[in-house]
Amino acid sequence: MGIIYLMLIVSLIIALFFLGSFLWAAKSGQYEDDYSPSVRILFDDEHNEQLKEQKNGSRKV
Amino acid sequence: MKASCYHCSDEIVGKAILFDDKQFCCSGCKQVYQLLSEHNLGEFYSLEKKPGTKPAGADDFRYAFLEVPEIRSKFIDFENEEQTLVSLYLPSIHCSSCIYLLENLHKIDEAIYSCQVDFSKRLANILFDHRKLSLEKLALLLEKIGYSPNFSAQKDIKRKKDLSYLYKLGVAGFAFGSIMLWTFPEYLGVSEDNLVFRNFTSYLSFVISLPVLFYSASEYLISAFRALRYRSINIDVPISIGILALYLQSCYSIFTNNGPGYMDSFAAFIFFLLIGKWFQSKTYDTLAFERDYSSYFPVAVTRIKTNNVEIIEIDQLVIGDQIRIRNEEVIPCDSTLSSESCYIDYSFVTGESELVKKKAGDFIYAGGRIKGSAVELTVVKESSRSHLTQLWNKTGNKKKQSSEEDKFSLYFLIALLSISGIAAIYYLLSDPSRTIEIVVSILIVACPCALALSRPFTYGNIMRKMGKSGLYLKNVKVIPALHEISDIVFDKTGTITESDNLKVTYIGEELTSERKEILHALVKNSTHPLSRAIYQYLNQVEGSLSVHHFEEHRGQGIQARINDNLVALGSASFVGVSQASPIPRSSSYFSIKGRIVGHFVFESSLRAGIENAINELKSSYQIHILSGDNEKEKMRFLHFVQDEKNLVFGCSPQDKAHYIENLQTQGKKVLMIGDGLNDTGALDAAHVGMAVSEDVFRFTPNSDAIIDAHKLINIQKFLSLSAYARTILFICFGFSLTYNLIGLSFAISGNLTPLVAAILMPISSISVVFISTFGSLLKRS
Repeated sequence: MGIIYLMLIVSLIIALFFLGSFLWAAKSGQYEDDYSPSVRILFDDEHNEQLKEQKNGSRKV
Repeated sequence: MKASCYHCSDEIVGKAILFDDKQFCCSGCKQVYQLLSEHNLGEFYSLEKKPGTKPAGADDFRYAFLEVPEIRSKFIDFENEEQTLVSLYLPSIHCSSCIYLLENLHKIDEAIYSCQVDFSKRLANILFDHRKLSLEKLALLLEKIGYSPNFSAQKDIKRKKDLSYLYKLGVAGFAFGSIMLWTFPEYLGVSEDNLVFRNFTSYLSFVISLPVLFYSASEYLISAFRALRYRSINIDVPISIGILALYLQSCYSIFTNNGPGYMDSFAAFIFFLLIGKWFQSKTYDTLAFERDYSSYFPVAVTRIKTNNVEIIEIDQLVIGDQIRIRNEEVIPCDSTLSSESCYIDYSFVTGESELVKKKAGDFIYAGGRIKGSAVELTVVKESSRSHLTQLWNKTGNKKKQSSEEDKFSLYFLIALLSISGIAAIYYLLSDPSRTIEIVVSILIVACPCALALSRPFTYGNIMRKMGKSGLYLKNVKVIPALHEISDIVFDKTGTITESDNLKVTYIGEELTSERKEILHALVKNSTHPLSRAIYQYLNQVEGSLSVHHFEEHRGQGIQARINDNLVALGSASFVGVSQASPIPRSSSYFSIKGRIVGHFVFESSLRAGIENAINELKSSYQIHILSGDNEKEKMRFLHFVQDEKNLVFGCSPQDKAHYIENLQTQGKKVLMIGDGLNDTGALDAAHVGMAVSEDVFRFTPNSDAIIDAHKLINIQKFLSLSAYARTILFICFGFSLTYNLIGLSFAISGNLTPLVAAILMPISSISVVFISTFGSLLKRS
């Protein structure tokens, strides 16, 4: 049962790591703008256009 | 049914411009559409319903100051030989289409590498090749597509947000989760058998709770301490008592090896409190309220020195400098006129849209806009100390009234102390060993944590709802303030009446198309607001008549020779008519070859729906109307107010402020609704000052609330929303009191185990959040 002490310490360290990354993320400005990323993912991106061009290109060949 | 412009969705007045099977209101909109379709950015129109804004017609000199190295460097984030990175404030950003368009800016101009939008701050970070595209041209491009950069307000925007509440939240959440995990065996009652384990986790919990107390909970403790120091009570006092009681009792438990204490509830409690604070801060982000005069004035001005014309920042102007101000530019400081004459639009300052004409040598106040040809001025007072900024910088000395909340805290505290006192006495007499334990339990469980949460959530939600419907509040305190209003004071111009639209009626002989052409040719040459009104009235007339000897006589009228006939338009005396009866309203007579054809009557048009809106309000509030205009139109507004004495015309800005101060000293609570800087003093003096804005992203004075001009007619609904907020609060209070009573019964009977506390406190917090959020959502707007 002594193993539980070790597990507790490890879980604490992991939790501390998550806390650290949260603080780092907040500090480096990732929480500054929470609206634009939600809109950005809905745009048709370059990738689709490139695929289209490739398709057209291969057809011409 | 009038058509609307495909780009900006405004109603098309006059002839529509056709392009590509679509209609546009002006060439500006058409050009943007052209640009977008050429670069395959048509998705712009499909993302949102009203994506486009009409681009402002600008002359090419607008951004000339960006070529001056010292000024330019202030806006640059980073620069090397090829690339430059700028962050520009674009106040017109308002929807996802804007993000789409701006982030695809590189498709429009090759020199732009990338553009990233920060929507909440309305910033665009643009990386471009400055060898191919100058900053000035970039600004012009942005203006062309409808997103004019505002350089004056830049410095305020860049201020980094204070994120400490987010860090505190993180620490509290981490502690809450961890400690609760370890204390779990305690809930099941098995830890009694594993004392070593229990001690270990207790000490660990103690260590983890230290930052929670000293960092996360710090603002509550400091606020309570400060209040007590000044001998007053605020809501943080009972909260802090609860926090400290909880913490100290737990420490005692841990160090006497008596149990793990309540550290889990402690961390959870702080966590929920901070969530409430975070939620409240989110609602403010959408509209920045720190508006000061500097965002209204331009950044730079053209200065003329002997043989040298240069562009310099306004702050560098010295008394005696000669400056040149062009059409539509704002006069940056008090000066005297060096040119022959000029026309100035002071509408933003005085509310009068009629242009003021000044002669050489006249003293000119800062803040007006030059209309017509460019003029030269001599600086008399430097920018920061001019007369207007004194008016604008007057910070209100609103006496801090002790809010309802503080009074409630006092009663609560008294009730709490009396209950603990009674319990203490009882236990001292019956079972003295448990006295302290019981008293502390009472202090812990009676904590008004639910009360502390209901305000931020309820008010936060209501504020957000109001924001979506067009009313933006400075902070949550305005909501209860709105509920206390007894009198409403309206400013006439721009609030009840629309600032630009004059209703024109023509009385007289028929206006044949030939006469219309003559009129059109005549008024085209005048910038007087009445001329502009007639020009719009004549809409769709095209004329190519030549105009000779055009003369404009200020305050009288205009005349010219057209087709060899003398044509005149103006006041009765100007045109040569003897007035038989005094005409109550503004009218302009029209004569050809000396013979009166007819006359135009002008009325400022009322905002649509405002009559009904004010009628609704009349039943619950005393209505007053103030105006800087003369008494001519007073009769029109008589039926708006209950008492003729409430209608005062001819007010100067100071008069308006005094009028409101009078009402307030009589004990009435005034809601002042106005626009323009001439109302600043009055807005400050009122209990709640509301500024009406046609374009909420443009500069408006510092007030308690800003309302979108088109939503002004919903004022009754907004006022009842604040009453509704109060109802929800009462319901929340009711619930939290119930929990308090239940908890108290546990505490007094000595049964407050950590388990009970851990269940009770989160439940009461969550249920209060739930009620306030749902309650606010339920109300249909």
